[in-house]
Amino acid sequence: MTGPSGIRLDTVSRSFKGRGTTVQALDNVSLDCPAGSFTALIGPSGCGKSTLLRLALGLDQADSGEVSIAGLAPMDAARAGMTGVAFQDAALMPWRSVEDNIALPLDVLGQPRRDNAAKIASLIDLVGLAGFEKALPGELSGGMRQRVAIARSLVTNPQVLFLDEPFGALDQILRRQMNVELQRIWIASRATTLLVTHGIDEAVFLADRVAVMQSKPGRITRIIDIPLMRPRGPDVFTSAEFHRLEDEIAGALNGH
Amino acid sequence: MATETIAARGSSLRTWLVLLIIWEICGRLQLIASGALPAPSSILMRLWIDRADYPPHILATLEGAGVGFLIGNGIAVAAGVLFALFPMAARLGRGVNIALFALPAIAISPLLVLTFSDMTPRIILAAIGCYFVTMSSTVTGISQTDQRMIEVIRAYGGGRWKILVLAQMRSALPAILSGLRIAAPNAVLGSILAEFGGGGRYGLGVYLIGSLGRAEPDRLWGIGLAATLIAGLAYAVFSLIALRFTGATKAVTVPATAPGGATMSWPLWLRLLLSTGSVVIPIALWWLLLIAMGTPAMIAKTPLGLFEYLFLQPNSQASQMKLLAALGQTLPLTIAGMALGIAFAFGLALMSVLRPGIIRGFMPVALVTQTMPLVALTPLLVLILGRGPSLILWITISVTFFPAFVTMAQGLSMVPRAALDVPRAYGASLFTQLRLVSVPASLPYLFAATRLAVPRALLGVMIAEWLATGTGLGNLLNQSRGYLDYGMIWAVAVVSVLLSVVFYQCVVLIERPVLARRGMRAAQ
Amino acid sequence: MNLTIDRRRFLGLLGATAAFPAMGRHAHAATPFNFQAAWINDAEFMGYFLAIDKGYYKDEGLDVTYFSGGPDVIPESTIITGKADLTLTTPDTTIKAIVEQGAPFKIIGAQYQKNPIGIVSLAKNPIMEPKDLIGKTLAVPPVNVISVEAMLKISGVDRAQVNIVPYAYDPTPLIKGEIDASLDFTTNVPFTIQQSGAEAVSFLLYDFGFTIFNDTVVVTEEALKTKRKEIAGFLKASRKGWIENFKDPTGYPATLADTWFKGTGRSIENEVYFNTAQQPLMETDGGFFSMSEEAIAANIKALAAVGIAAKREHFDTTVLEEIG
Repeated sequence: MTGPSGIRLDTVSRSFKGRGTTVQALDNVSLDCPAGSFTALIGPSGCGKSTLLRLALGLDQADSGEVSIAGLAPMDAARAGMTGVAFQDAALMPWRSVEDNIALPLDVLGQPRRDNAAKIASLIDLVGLAGFEKALPGELSGGMRQRVAIARSLVTNPQVLFLDEPFGALDQILRRQMNVELQRIWIASRATTLLVTHGIDEAVFLADRVAVMQSKPGRITRIIDIPLMRPRGPDVFTSAEFHRLEDEIAGALNGH
Repeated sequence: MATETIAARGSSLRTWLVLLIIWEICGRLQLIASGALPAPSSILMRLWIDRADYPPHILATLEGAGVGFLIGNGIAVAAGVLFALFPMAARLGRGVNIALFALPAIAISPLLVLTFSDMTPRIILAAIGCYFVTMSSTVTGISQTDQRMIEVIRAYGGGRWKILVLAQMRSALPAILSGLRIAAPNAVLGSILAEFGGGGRYGLGVYLIGSLGRAEPDRLWGIGLAATLIAGLAYAVFSLIALRFTGATKAVTVPATAPGGATMSWPLWLRLLLSTGSVVIPIALWWLLLIAMGTPAMIAKTPLGLFEYLFLQPNSQASQMKLLAALGQTLPLTIAGMALGIAFAFGLALMSVLRPGIIRGFMPVALVTQTMPLVALTPLLVLILGRGPSLILWITISVTFFPAFVTMAQGLSMVPRAALDVPRAYGASLFTQLRLVSVPASLPYLFAATRLAVPRALLGVMIAEWLATGTGLGNLLNQSRGYLDYGMIWAVAVVSVLLSVVFYQCVVLIERPVLARRGMRAAQ
Repeated sequence: MNLTIDRRRFLGLLGATAAFPAMGRHAHAATPFNFQAAWINDAEFMGYFLAIDKGYYKDEGLDVTYFSGGPDVIPESTIITGKADLTLTTPDTTIKAIVEQGAPFKIIGAQYQKNPIGIVSLAKNPIMEPKDLIGKTLAVPPVNVISVEAMLKISGVDRAQVNIVPYAYDPTPLIKGEIDASLDFTTNVPFTIQQSGAEAVSFLLYDFGFTIFNDTVVVTEEALKTKRKEIAGFLKASRKGWIENFKDPTGYPATLADTWFKGTGRSIENEVYFNTAQQPLMETDGGFFSMSEEAIAANIKALAAVGIAAKREHFDTTVLEEIG
């Protein structure tokens, strides 16, 4: 079922103990993302989207069930340099320049930076930050910082890419631009991608499939296929099919 | 922006100048303590006259303080890293840490002189002076690292070591540097204290003890000034380095997630075991060290020997009474001095945000109070304040406030810009910003500062008692030293350490629930 | 200190190799002997400085290492830990340690026949005898409080009528009138007071019943057994040093200005004053360091007043007898 670089969650549960209460963040969740697919996770706040992502990244352990990335345990996949991640917050190191921040995963994985100098330069170009190579995060706008985070997530040529609301902090115009860019990058890399998002339009525009989640307990209630042709241009946003899919997802979110 | 800094600099320079002029006038006209406060000009003249005396003394002090600074801080940073990475080690080491911090230098100096000679007591006292501040700053710095960065590294499979090297060490740098900044005057003073008592030939402390009998305040102030200059230089160097790094370390946005910690999930039996361990380890170390050094039992009291002295000997009851009577005199003033010292430090820290110019002007004065050996100031203080509680309280404040102030100011300056933007957007005054954002956001630092201040209060009271009032534990210590009452020397040292630990634990007990309620973690 | 020792050892080694053939007479090297002084380098130790400089110890086959003292140096402790072989102490603390803690000390000599400690005050507010202290503030180093209490008791003055505060090495509070009198070496402080333009008066505790020695020469019982020859040699050479010193008490201090007194922070004039003032307190018929039976008896009596049960056996005069 899962290819060499797929994401697989099998009846995963995770609960958190608070002060006297237990929150069932994920309840028996299963999800298969075949190799090279793009899956969007959408749902209301607190439905367990981020928990699911943290489990897939190996940052957290499931109470029960199994998580595998390309057939490996999440941490092993990460150590093998197969994954890339961009968080909701850019989480840049304030003392590292743009290019040094982009190179961080290489430093973590112990890959020599000089072998990747061209790669870093092309990524900076790709996210439109040429000329800011030596700038510190404090000197950048929020959008620019987020683009650094995207570039950083791609620097290892990941086979599996995790994006946790990477454009949540950006304005609508920039966000659409970034969506188009991301699609271009994704088509070029064909990395198996899991995108956590709040934006229905973003999900429809980027994903092959949209997994809709509900909270209390956190679970996946529907998976909707997005049969739009690729590459999708900016005009897709105005198409009737696009709006129909948006409505379908909105309905699913409302429990229909 | 640029004009603002120049204006601020100008204002601090003005403060400086005004202070100097007032001082000069007071000194010239013998306004303060009928001339016991010499004018700056006569101090400088005296320095010039004595200039040939200074080089060997300064070199010796530099050696003692410098080597102690390197050793003490080296150990401190290593220990800080260890404690930050392994909460269990931190819990186990707590007893040793607090004991080292609370060790009254005046009590251990004679003990060090007994067993070591030459530079060693100076180096040890200087190193001990550095250890706690730097160790705790390192832990604070590391544990306050932005959790989001750590997540990124972990997401790429980075382990503890990678997280430490790539994120935590660099992010802790400003905190470590601010620790070093406080450690520098401590090292100088530690060395001078050992020189003063230890019977060597060179060192500013040696020069001081010889000069004390001359009744020449300008000479004493000159020596104090030389000490301040050494410490001030070290302070300035680390401030400059810190300035370079702090800007680039300040988080751009507010971390949404609370720094994680495993401490809460320990089972009760483990917590009990660790607590017991943290108490047993310093006692075991005390015992082992004495065995290792082979000091004769008459001088070196082991825990058992001390117990015997205090409870089993025929004159144990008399010893107990003496100790309790001294405690009765010392304790109330310690608590009052503690409160005043912390309040003073907090006021200064707020001022450093509200009126940075004045604080910059005040910093040299603050440094003088840290490096000027109190014994040189005693006549002046006694003449101004008499020999009552007010003298004790002033000395206690001066011994207490500095590390607390630097830590609090550090906390206030680390508040992220974005957090201040919200109240600022609503036109909040600087004071309101402090009240609503800066103070609550730097709460871990405020508590850490209080923990730094608390054991020092006892030290301050003991010094004042020893030098001026002839009461309490400080006097008992000095008297026992003269009577070769080694049991009492150890008893006072151990009791003062225990008391400091109790005060420290009280702060921790308040700190924990307060910070937990706010989703913060204590800065170690 | 370290530097000089190392240099000396280093030079010694050099000498031993280079001058080997000529060294026949001194075939065995001098025995190392460590001396712990009671205070920082000042005129109180002139005799020992001269004995080192003039080679008197070497003549006795001793290679003496001199440790300066200081406020934190407890002289008795250094002979317990073995850092020093011989030291100078105050007899009250030494005997108290023997009696109460069973410390293995023997007093084998006394530098000061009369304890130089006294009550110093300003001539304009003079305190000439213990009774004058009533209603006054007196600064006393905490270690000496019992001595003062003994003197007051012997003189029939109620302790509660004297306000005793700690004395912290600096006579400024006395000069400025914050205190009325202080307890210190009368050989030293009056000079400082004169320097500041005031006039000082003083009296010795010794003259009001507290008849004890000071700078008593103390060794451990074991050292007295195992190193008797060296100890006797030390006393003999030190006596020679003191005799030499008092041949020119005003001249000798200046000759040590660049060696022993370098960088002490004190002035040579002060040392001259000290050296002159201490002469009458040291000189005695039996020669320097001697302890006559009457003097020992007076010590025992005075110490009894402070509650210290001194005995004749705490004093050992045999070494003195040996060196004549």
